[in-house]
Amino acid sequence: MDGPLPLALLVASLLFAAVVLVYVVLDRTPDWGLLGFAAVIEAATLVLLVVAAVQVGDVDLSGGALVTLFGYLVAGLVLLPIGFVWSLAERSRGATAVLMVAGLAQAFVVVRVMQVWPS
Amino acid sequence: MTRTATSTSSGLGRALVAVYGVFALAATARSLVQLATKAGEAPLAYVLSAVAALVYVAATLGLAEVGPSPRRLAWAAVGFELVGVLTVGTLTVLDPELFPDATVWSDYGAGYGWLPLVLPFVGIAWLWRTRARD
Repeated sequence: MDGPLPLALLVASLLFAAVVLVYVVLDRTPDWGLLGFAAVIEAATLVLLVVAAVQVGDVDLSGGALVTLFGYLVAGLVLLPIGFVWSLAERSRGATAVLMVAGLAQAFVVVRVMQVWPS
Repeated sequence: MTRTATSTSSGLGRALVAVYGVFALAATARSLVQLATKAGEAPLAYVLSAVAALVYVAATLGLAEVGPSPRRLAWAAVGFELVGVLTVGTLTVLDPELFPDATVWSDYGAGYGWLPLVLPFVGIAWLWRTRARD
């Protein structure tokens, strides 16, 4: 995949997880800033999905790898929304930490997308 | 004085459910891809992947308190998970040829940062801590 988007998305996801960790340590509940950060990651993931769909015709991917690639991209779209729904239903450190799990899982998804995409 | 069981999906449990949820999603998706695209190559490993996926889904639902008797479901799933990761982990270390394609529990879950090995212990400790006691 051309361009800096996957790497930027990976860094942003890890940074998001790190910011949430700070929130957990300080016992702060998620706020609009955190939601906005997640929205940016979500939008970038959607762009990545579109870019992959556009460029996929030009690369050599087997059927299995193709399913895997788009499986990860779709997973990347649902992780943060589900994480927020599950997290915001309760106000506690554990509930805030849910967003850290979602951020790390998001980073993992991006890494797998980069691995599956032939360079 | 009898204390009723506390919620398994509250506080720390909420994060634990999230981790189990990620594993449930990942294991289910992986299993579906394996069974759909190359079922014939390593049937035993893929059936095992499907079983592991079901166990993670059951553990997630149980800990999230979905269904009629979630605590029992969670105990069964987490117990099965512990036995599964220890058995498959030991078998794959002793005889790497047994499962030609990796599963979540191969080599005690080393391919997944050892999380599959740690998770059932955390799950059992959490269910124990939140149990009803007198």
